[in-house]
Amino acid sequence: MNTLIRIAARNVVRHRRRALITALTMMVGIAVFIWMDSLMNGMDKVSVDNLINLHDSSVKVFTTAYYKDRASYPLESGIADPQALIRRLSHDRGVSRVTPRTEFLAEVGNYRDSLPVVGVVVDPASDPTVFTLKDYLTGSYFTSPKGIATGPSASASSDRQIILGKELAEKLGLTLGQTVLLDATTRYGAENADDFTIVGLLTTTDPGLNQSTVFITYADANDFLDLSGLTTELDLKLKSRVNLADTVAEANTVAKEIGESSPTLTAKSFAEIDGGFLQLLKQKRAGIVILILIILLIAAVGIVNTVLMSVYERIREVGVLKALGLSNREVVWMFTLEGLAVGLLGCLMGAALGIALEVQLIFVGLPLDKIAGNLGGSGVAFWGRLYGEWNPGAILFAVLFGLAVSLVAALIPARRAARMTATAALHFV
Amino acid sequence: MATILQLEGVRKSYQKDEQRVEALRGIDLTIERGDLVAVVGPSGSGKTTLLNIVGCLDLPSSGSVLYDGRELGGMSERELSRYRKENISFIFQSYNLIPVLTVLENVELPMVIERKLARAEMRRRAEAIIDAVGLAGMLERFPRELSGGQEQRVAIARALVKEPIVVLADEPTANLDSHTAEEIVALMERMNAERRTTFVFSTHDALVQRHAHRVVTLRDGLIQSNGRSAA
Repeated sequence: MNTLIRIAARNVVRHRRRALITALTMMVGIAVFIWMDSLMNGMDKVSVDNLINLHDSSVKVFTTAYYKDRASYPLESGIADPQALIRRLSHDRGVSRVTPRTEFLAEVGNYRDSLPVVGVVVDPASDPTVFTLKDYLTGSYFTSPKGIATGPSASASSDRQIILGKELAEKLGLTLGQTVLLDATTRYGAENADDFTIVGLLTTTDPGLNQSTVFITYADANDFLDLSGLTTELDLKLKSRVNLADTVAEANTVAKEIGESSPTLTAKSFAEIDGGFLQLLKQKRAGIVILILIILLIAAVGIVNTVLMSVYERIREVGVLKALGLSNREVVWMFTLEGLAVGLLGCLMGAALGIALEVQLIFVGLPLDKIAGNLGGSGVAFWGRLYGEWNPGAILFAVLFGLAVSLVAALIPARRAARMTATAALHFV
Repeated sequence: MATILQLEGVRKSYQKDEQRVEALRGIDLTIERGDLVAVVGPSGSGKTTLLNIVGCLDLPSSGSVLYDGRELGGMSERELSRYRKENISFIFQSYNLIPVLTVLENVELPMVIERKLARAEMRRRAEAIIDAVGLAGMLERFPRELSGGQEQRVAIARALVKEPIVVLADEPTANLDSHTAEEIVALMERMNAERRTTFVFSTHDALVQRHAHRVVTLRDGLIQSNGRSAA
């Protein structure tokens, strides 16, 4: 065995240029795989973080009645005493922060034209502890009284504040400081319309927020929508988890526990609410993995070629070894070792390069704005930097897959060599 | 003497380009244990084909080859491999050394493949036989660093080192000067006498023919004569 390894190793060294070129192909395949995996993980994390931080939160809690009829935004089915529930949920295992939100259908206009929107009532005190709207804001955040007041708004009608998507504002020809007319149906079914002053404009990664969403405060909505302290949902932020799978699992667990603790409540994790989106992420990822596997298979062709050339150059040697009593299996093993040695070299170089690139991606990041510009709508921020995610499992997979590919690639010509009779091999020219 | 190899009605034909070549056309030959047989004949008479068939490197088109009474024709690839490993050694006309192994490693190779001896014993035997063929001091050289004659001597050392029962040698002295050729033939004679190693040479060399117990003359794939050496 040692001699076979020695022969294989020395043949690799003897044809080091050829072996190195093949190993480099494998190295590129492995390194690209590791880097792309890290990038994809980073993108997935950004996408999911954006989903959670901008709209979905980790877990949403509704009344069961509201959830069943949520498509029609039935304000009357909201949570009547949210404060007690907020206090209770705040002490739940895994829950970090809780904030109320109330969604309603409305029309926003500039007194000439109007557009249908989804209105979101927020608590300016607690909302930023769960959502990160402030990070995407031009102008200022709400300055009106904070908290879910149960009585009429303390602010005068003209002081009512609104934040809306920048694209929505542009469609209506509006900008900061101007007044919009918001038209909505109150909790009791009455039509109400009032002026709101634009205090902030949002440019997020969620096109829904940018184009068709407006935000107002409970201080204004208690009066404007007759909420009187009622809220339609509570949004929970969970304690942070290491990776997406853990985050999904924890969110599902918390949602399930809340649902089981009270039959009048329905809790849904972001994974349940946006299952389709997560599935899309998986599919997108599978597509890219297939592309990268193709790169590795191209590297495999290189290994087949290297071993095949080695076999043809050494067919007489095969004849001699068989004449000396080497079995077919040992001939196969000798050439396979040679292919594996090249593959291993490529895999190790690929892993080293891949890890170096991954470290760069994790700590330095990719300047997206310089690469892609603002493409928006994909759920990924195309400004600032995109950072990679550490994934040792992917590195291990890439190396093992590379070795498996090398093994199969080397086996094909090796078996061919072993099948030749000793005489045919000795007479091979 | 006991019969070690017996060929009965061995025929071998193969296709070369468009032509059907009858390399052997019915060979009956018996080789005794400890025989030293020189197979002679003009080029194309079937000498190398005969050696290949005796060494199970090639199978006859018809007829049978018996080794120690056992028919080789029905053996599996694995059995043939074991047969070669345990009983036969080859000396090829074109040396066929493994280029990436040193002289010492090349000579040790048959013992490594056979896996019967301890590492130290392999080394001792290899060094002794390399010394016997006059290459002491060249243990660590690679084949590319040797002359044709030196390569031939390494090939001979490789064939003899495992002390096989039968040595099949295709023109073993073709690339040696007369002095070295005599030394090599003497070494083979010594092995033949001491260990009853059977030697079958394909040769044109009168020296080898002189030392052979028997000379088998082939012509056009048939045995023309089979008799005691003139020596």
